[in-house]
Amino acid sequence: MSAPATRFLLTGGTGFLGSHLAVALLLKGHEVSLLARSLKNRPARDRVSALLDWFGLPEESRRGLRVVEGDVTRPGLGMAPGPLEELLLQTDGIIHCASDTSFSARKRAEVEAVNLGGLSNVLEAAAAGRASFFHLVSTAFVAGVAQGRCAEEPAEPAAFFNVYEETKCLGERMAMAACREAGMRLAIYRPSIVYGDSRTGRSLLFNALYSPVRAVLFLRDLYEKEIRERGGRKAAEAGVRVEPDGRIRLPLRIGASPGGGVNLIPVDYFTEAFLAVLEGAPDGGIFHIVNDRVTTIEELVGHTSGFLRLTGIRACAPGDFAAAPRNAIEALFESYVEPYLPYIRDTRRFDAANARPLLEKRGVRCPGFSYDVFERCMSFAVECGWRSPLP
Amino acid sequence: MIDPGARRTAAQCRHYAMCKIDYLGTGVCASGPEKGFVAYYPQGRMDLYRALADGLVPVTEGLVDAAESCTLCGICDLQCHFVTGMRPVAVMRALKSFVRKHLDDGKPVQAPAADPVLERLRAIAGPAWATNDPAILFTYADDPFPLAGPRMPRFAVLPGSREEVAAIVSLAAELDIPYAVRGNGGSVFGFVFTDGIVLDMGRMRRIDFDVDNWCVSVGPGVTSFELQREAARRGFRVNAAEPAATVCGNIVCTGTFSPWSNVYGTASDGFVDMEFVGRDGKIFRLNDKSAPNVYAFEHAVIPSPGVCTEAVVKLHPVTADEEAVLVPFEEFGEAVAFARDLSARRIALALAVLGGHYVSTFMSPSESLSEKLKDVLPGVLGIRYLVLAVVDAHGRAAIDRMAASVIDGALFRTLMLGLPRLADGELVELVRAYEGNRAPFEFLCSPGMRTLLETALSPSPGTIAGSVDEDLRDAYARLYARPGMTDMVWLTAFRIVSARMSRRKHMFAFLVYVPLDRMEIIDDIIAGFARIAEAHGIDHDYGFLTPMDFGKRAILEYDYYIDHADPAERRKIAGAMVEAVPWMDGLAASTKGVTFLQQVFSQGCSRKENFLYRPGPFPAREGG
Repeated sequence: MSAPATRFLLTGGTGFLGSHLAVALLLKGHEVSLLARSLKNRPARDRVSALLDWFGLPEESRRGLRVVEGDVTRPGLGMAPGPLEELLLQTDGIIHCASDTSFSARKRAEVEAVNLGGLSNVLEAAAAGRASFFHLVSTAFVAGVAQGRCAEEPAEPAAFFNVYEETKCLGERMAMAACREAGMRLAIYRPSIVYGDSRTGRSLLFNALYSPVRAVLFLRDLYEKEIRERGGRKAAEAGVRVEPDGRIRLPLRIGASPGGGVNLIPVDYFTEAFLAVLEGAPDGGIFHIVNDRVTTIEELVGHTSGFLRLTGIRACAPGDFAAAPRNAIEALFESYVEPYLPYIRDTRRFDAANARPLLEKRGVRCPGFSYDVFERCMSFAVECGWRSPLP
Repeated sequence: MIDPGARRTAAQCRHYAMCKIDYLGTGVCASGPEKGFVAYYPQGRMDLYRALADGLVPVTEGLVDAAESCTLCGICDLQCHFVTGMRPVAVMRALKSFVRKHLDDGKPVQAPAADPVLERLRAIAGPAWATNDPAILFTYADDPFPLAGPRMPRFAVLPGSREEVAAIVSLAAELDIPYAVRGNGGSVFGFVFTDGIVLDMGRMRRIDFDVDNWCVSVGPGVTSFELQREAARRGFRVNAAEPAATVCGNIVCTGTFSPWSNVYGTASDGFVDMEFVGRDGKIFRLNDKSAPNVYAFEHAVIPSPGVCTEAVVKLHPVTADEEAVLVPFEEFGEAVAFARDLSARRIALALAVLGGHYVSTFMSPSESLSEKLKDVLPGVLGIRYLVLAVVDAHGRAAIDRMAASVIDGALFRTLMLGLPRLADGELVELVRAYEGNRAPFEFLCSPGMRTLLETALSPSPGTIAGSVDEDLRDAYARLYARPGMTDMVWLTAFRIVSARMSRRKHMFAFLVYVPLDRMEIIDDIIAGFARIAEAHGIDHDYGFLTPMDFGKRAILEYDYYIDHADPAERRKIAGAMVEAVPWMDGLAASTKGVTFLQQVFSQGCSRKENFLYRPGPFPAREGG
């Protein structure tokens, strides 16, 4: 089946998801106008070029690429009226991927500026142009504070866990209203938590799933160093020791909720699923791009313990902390991963009735989150020092 | 002959005079106290080497004596490095080599010219304490102050008593020779130069306590550090200026202000009585009924009441439960509001709102560490401003209730002694990725983090000493093993790290009294200084703000930074002042509660109420 549009304007193309989409679209022969900013004295074109080099995208596949200097947070996408009009005339579909994924309430202004202000600017441009299709990359977590089944429908939760969820939900409503008014088709893509490439472990971003693992690695290294270089008095006080087999015992309980877990998808699956929906849903709609099977805390603990050669980490019932208060390690860990706790202990179940048939038709399946996948991804993160591998 | 590296170092001397006080407990350059003149201290020798390199002075008898009196003991290296990062011993060595070669080559050494006025000055002060040796005089001719060029005096004299001061002033009046009084170090406003007689008050160092009357009599050569040390030994505290500043000079020039001014006030609040030698050579005390009314304040540049020969300074009580805390903030307005609240509620003793960059510089014993910390404190931890408060146990309990996060004395010590690991370690990278709703510093300051911080930072004198030159590390480790070096109360009382603000570049400070209930005015003033600095390409930053008079007023410092040895940089300041002065004058004239410190200069004995408040105009009274 051919794609519903071949000339795309892509926002957020230098970000984690957007860059994967850009590469996938170019490999499929689409034309992509990639809106990007110059940052830290690096022109947008150079940034994009470095990104595509990292992906190893061959030169011949870059022929359909046009880098457009712009900024979604500015009116008119930060472009002069003439070039913007010209760009929009040559655009069949807009893929809006630009997003601020911060969860922190302290960053509300920045998050709103991108997730609401930026979206509004893009929608305004879209309405003024010729694009007939608007593709909005949102999140499954627009479901907000909820339990059980979450449908592929407009979300109207009573509350949200964070500003990211809130602005993405408001963004969906904004897009629905604007597209309805402009007579544009709208597809909303709602991924769950996206990690690196399941086949290679490569990633551009190391938040979400990576943060708790990074915190545990920090604690392990901290005490191991103290034991090896300074006698280990602090480690002993914290109950940390070296096991006879060389592993480090780190006394860390992680509160779990019954039936809870984390919904994880690798970026390669997200990309394939996005394309399947893009090409298979000519009338648009709302699509959950999620994993049918959540990963439990016990599984994550097992993966982490194996990867970092640790003992002593275990999932526990929240009531455990009432009986035995948190130790210093647990206090740090829980404070640090507090923004992610709703996702680790998630009991929301994302229905994929709209997406599933399209994915099955294309044979797109979400890989399981096995130890091998975990190890590949975390090894890459450690190799990168938990920082973006891009210059 | 001239070592370019040593010349560069010499030219960078900030004249902070920290080499003239024993602030590190190492002793001071032995020749300084013995000979008295600045030339016999490392600061003076730095000037002499620069002068030789630039051909500004000949090799004179005084210069040879000053060079040869240096024993290369190394004390000044640690003293100077602690605040400026410079190593003056290389300059001392270069100076001695230059002089030795000059003598070995049989080149001439200039003897001072015979001068009948000099003979009269020597008759007053003693033969050793007056000179017209051009090299010795050069060390009184210049300062890093960028708006005044060198001005060579004819004589420098060190009087030993008020009678000698009176005789010198009378002689100057008789012969119509101008004179200027120097206390110690450099001048903030450049008003201490003359082509006549310089009176260096360094010999008059008497300190006499009258504890029954809660006061101490201080001679004009006594520095703030020395007075605070003596007061502390007796269980008291004084409101102290920068450590090398003389107490009398500081009071006369601007009045003493510091974080302690929150409770101790400024200007006439600081003393019980003062003694002066008037321009007519007559001695008077401020408590004399017939004395000039120096308590009044006039919005004009007026001369000082005379040469101060004694200040009777107030002593303040110290309680055993005092401690200092830092309360971090992301926003300036929040920090100011908090400090104002503490002041209005009479909760804190010493109190100041400090910038994150300011604190980074204070805490770091090296510039490279300071630069890293400037990224970490505001950039990663979100600590853009800190409210420093010295409090008693009751105040501490109140602050714990009022503030979301508190860096107490123990945490400060951990952070300070573990600073290199805080600036460089994985901990900061971890915090950088923190996504929680709380400010990162709240996460870091939470009680649960204490033991982890200690493990991560490995705080010890050795750890912090690891951030300085290798050959200084043992000395720094010994230094930081002293409790005072990591005790914020001690550091706030003795202020030995404040001179680090000039480590990277010479600091040109603007000080202004502001109405603390008018945040928009404070914001405008800060924005004004920033705008002018940007327009002239000058490095600049917020300095500090200290509430005064129960939070009604405050003193605000904004700093420009320049390389004073670079003529282009000096011109930038001159250009900026053309813009800044009318702006400041206009602001002060039009806004109640705004007074720039320049306008207080030489009126430091006045009542603070007379320059903090300008009452009225009130409606005319009814009837006749």
